[in-house]
Amino acid sequence: MAVAFLTVIPAAFGGVAWGILGGALPGISPSITMALLLPFTYSMAPTTAVVMLACTYIGAEYGGSIPAILIRTPGTNAAAATVVDGYMMKVQGRAGEALGISLYSGFVGGLFGMLVLVGLTERLSTVALAFTPPAYFALGVLGLSVIATLAGDSLVTGLIAGVLGLMISTVGTDPVTGLNRFTFDSPELLSGIPPLLVMVGLYAVGDLFVKTGEPDWAKATREDARIKFPSPALWKRIARPQIIGSLLGAFEGMMPGGGGAVSSFLAYNEARRWSRHKEEFGHGSPEGIAAPEAANNTVACTALVPMLSLGIPSSNSSAVLLGGFLMHGLIPGPLLFVSHADVVHGLYVGMFAGNVAMLIIGYLIMSPCMWLVNRPKPYLMAFIYALVVSGVYAIQNSIFHVGLTLGFGVLGSAMKYFRLPVLPMVLGVVLGFVVESNYRRALVISAGDYRTFIQDPIAAGLLALALLFVTGALVRRLREARSARRAAAASV
Amino acid sequence: MSEDSRRELVLGCATLAIAAGYYLMAVRIPQSDIADVIGAQGLPKTYAALLAILSIVLIGRATLARRTAAVRDAPAIAVAPPVPEGPPLPRNVGWRTFGMLMNGVVYVALVTRLGYIVSIAGLIASTIYFQGGAMNRRSLAVAVGGALVLWLLFVRLLHIPHPPGIWPSLF
Repeated sequence: MAVAFLTVIPAAFGGVAWGILGGALPGISPSITMALLLPFTYSMAPTTAVVMLACTYIGAEYGGSIPAILIRTPGTNAAAATVVDGYMMKVQGRAGEALGISLYSGFVGGLFGMLVLVGLTERLSTVALAFTPPAYFALGVLGLSVIATLAGDSLVTGLIAGVLGLMISTVGTDPVTGLNRFTFDSPELLSGIPPLLVMVGLYAVGDLFVKTGEPDWAKATREDARIKFPSPALWKRIARPQIIGSLLGAFEGMMPGGGGAVSSFLAYNEARRWSRHKEEFGHGSPEGIAAPEAANNTVACTALVPMLSLGIPSSNSSAVLLGGFLMHGLIPGPLLFVSHADVVHGLYVGMFAGNVAMLIIGYLIMSPCMWLVNRPKPYLMAFIYALVVSGVYAIQNSIFHVGLTLGFGVLGSAMKYFRLPVLPMVLGVVLGFVVESNYRRALVISAGDYRTFIQDPIAAGLLALALLFVTGALVRRLREARSARRAAAASV
Repeated sequence: MSEDSRRELVLGCATLAIAAGYYLMAVRIPQSDIADVIGAQGLPKTYAALLAILSIVLIGRATLARRTAAVRDAPAIAVAPPVPEGPPLPRNVGWRTFGMLMNGVVYVALVTRLGYIVSIAGLIASTIYFQGGAMNRRSLAVAVGGALVLWLLFVRLLHIPHPPGIWPSLF
């Protein structure tokens, strides 16, 4: 136990530090920061690795607010709501206070998120022992049904990305017959394409290619780098927006496609609605920072509820964390709590430590963050590229894997050009094997009787839930399309 | 034809071609004597069909949008191009993105011969160039310094062997 703590706590601190640095770089999202770290965690003990990745997520959510406040450029999507009042406070010479509110609110939100995570995850997974192949198949289908929500502007393109992901998952040895499929006689492809390479390629390398066409970001000044924690009177004032942000973040984090960005803007809006100082919003309101920052750090914890208990990632960052679990032979889902309860409990301890670490490191790391943000973009991009190719090679000492990752990088940038969402493809890659192997196993056991999927109560329930998800998403889209048409007709 | 529908049309045609190619490869998967009712070909063929249907829907949607736009915009009115906001975008983006990809390809091709330190220094230097940085002494120093830091990190600190290249055989 003591040995575990000796590795988990430093991993939490290391992950948070890496996350803050990554999040502080404009355009480097939490998922990319995590994807860059992924190869380095390969040689670590499973608990240490997943703690480091989860704490990177925690750190990145705070890190994103640093450039949002200092240079009016959100480091992450979730920090976009912080720009509004954070930058105004900076203009008023209150940058240190704004950073302090962001850090403290993120800490409060993170602790609340931890309570929700620990309280809900294990309960959801208690059905573990009752899971049969039909139920696992249905769980996979439930995970894939999330695509309907995650598809973005177009359901068709989201579904296309999902099917392409499912196709990638079929590469390798067939799960039932052992025949080789789509391997092109390459021994490296016999065990399939590791989801890790797909994620690093799509997120990190793809983004690197896309960023070639983007201008350099603004630079911060050194005198901004002093954090000032809120006074007791301010603590009292920002308590309400923190509660609002935490509650909304807890709910949105567990919803597919919710994520930090959605919850931050919702929290900002609700905090303004319930505020006694509405007029200050948009002009440097401390509440306008507290609510979104509490929300996005709550999301960093609650996004793990469906991932850990059901094996369904609800956001890009939780998908990368799922990749970290898979890399160590840990399969998130109901059985994780039975077969690897130590890893889950270690993760809880590590994430709690990560939230505390965020408060400490967040205070100390400001100067290195400023230094990093002020480096010329070409140098940073070059170092990230070198880190990716070196890290991917380090996983299995395979040049083939580096080439494969570059290939997925090209695919990732093409997907961005064609506006194909990435997460549905990742879901397809991760869940494809689960869906196919359990679908076929279930049919082997039932001697080809398809009724097995509705006779098993868990499978039937999960499939019904998946149907509900898809129907709900379709109905919402139809309503949105109808309102858009009405609005267009009214404007003519 | 709007840019959006043109992109959708190209995407739809590309995914339709992928679906066809994937289906042709799926039907060539050999049958096994111990196969289950679905078989090794089963789901791949289904995925190919699904992708083909979705691609046709996308092509149809893009074509419809094109026709609607053509009717709506019949009396063409010359509109001034929108004035871009914010800092100027880098020039030759396509060429530089291609250069970024080629950096990686050349690295993969040469690392086993030139060794890790030389190849990664080359990768860093060329990436700086393709990202719009100046090729001066400072950039070269960053490339060499970065390569040494990464070599120390991976090979010395983490004990992960990277290709040494032809150099050990020369000395």
